[in-house]
Amino acid sequence: MTPTTAVPPEVTDYLAAVRAALDDLPAAERDDLIAEVEPSILDAASDTGGNVSARLGPAEDFAAELRTAAGLQAPPRGAAEKLRLLDAARRLARDPRMQELRRLVPVWWVVRAYLLVAAIALAAGVSWSLRYFLVPHLSTAWLGLLAIAAAVVLSVWIGLRTPWANRLVVLGNLVLLGLSIPVVSHFQHRQLPAGVVTMTFFEPTQGLTYNGVAVTNLYPFSRQGRLLHDVLLYTGAGTPLDAPGLAIDPQRRVLRTTSGKQILNAYPIRYFDPGTGEVAHPGAAPKVRIPRIATPPLPVAK
Amino acid sequence: MDVSQLLRGTLDAAALAVVAEQDGYGYDILRRLRAAGLADVGDASVYGTLRRLYRAGALTSYVMPSDEGPHRRYYGITERGRAQLEEARAVWAGFSQALTMLLDTNVEVTL
Repeated sequence: MTPTTAVPPEVTDYLAAVRAALDDLPAAERDDLIAEVEPSILDAASDTGGNVSARLGPAEDFAAELRTAAGLQAPPRGAAEKLRLLDAARRLARDPRMQELRRLVPVWWVVRAYLLVAAIALAAGVSWSLRYFLVPHLSTAWLGLLAIAAAVVLSVWIGLRTPWANRLVVLGNLVLLGLSIPVVSHFQHRQLPAGVVTMTFFEPTQGLTYNGVAVTNLYPFSRQGRLLHDVLLYTGAGTPLDAPGLAIDPQRRVLRTTSGKQILNAYPIRYFDPGTGEVAHPGAAPKVRIPRIATPPLPVAK
Repeated sequence: MDVSQLLRGTLDAAALAVVAEQDGYGYDILRRLRAAGLADVGDASVYGTLRRLYRAGALTSYVMPSDEGPHRRYYGITERGRAQLEEARAVWAGFSQALTMLLDTNVEVTL
């Protein structure tokens, strides 16, 4: 029975609980009963603002009363336990989040196909491709790939053809899920052959680095231990040791030439206090101990 | 003693009487029972009773399309149902007469 108007979730939940409590009845009889009682539940929901059980009592009691009045036998106790579990599973399956997850089912179809091939390959003790880490070497890696592809096609075909809750498929899925343990463990313990070199690439960093770590400022001191200002630094090739950063901080005190050109290799870099155009602490520097220097100074370059 | 206890034994007859008057679907029969004064009748009891009477052959059933939405299962009375209703009428007439007399405040009751 499919209602044409939107059914409130409380009604759907209540009906589902009643249905679960009547799960031992033949499906046709149960569906018929559910369809028949639905108007009462809709009515109760609209009268009580959604609190169906306030009017009709708990769904389990409603179902029990229905059963008694109809002269239908209650299910044995063990079955009731099983039904409760089934009901919980159904509730979970109806959860919209689970419905979202269901869209990922095709991913599982691919994964289980791979697990099957990998497990068979493991059991048969075949070697594994060196170039394609995950591919078993069935005389050639290509044949391994082909086996995986064939299994994927088969798995998707089964997935599309069989209903969601087919017992055989559920069992097969569980077995394959279990097989994932030896397969994953194989990959965990598998030694990479010595010929394979692992290389790590560092992204080239813009600006200054020291031992791979970005340097954001430099503090030059004189041999007397005095902090120097606006010291221009160059590399041996005469390149200014600029610290441009990706975008120059608007608060940065950038030196300019008489023609207005920016000088970005002057250290230490200083920052204005916001809105003032003033460097509040021009003497700020890391706490360093300048050692007493015995070597005589060089004459000042001219 | 409340009405629900009384209903337990008499709902069959009440439901048969309502259906004998006019065919109806579950919820409709429930409303007619309520409108007739059986305000305390339980929803599930009525649906269950109809189902049992149907299985016992006292009611027949057919499906009718509904303007408001899904198809509805209508119940009608059968010959067997009519006979059962007649019997219930006779039993109830005798019983209610006896009980009315018993409960009448002018009558001394000794048990």
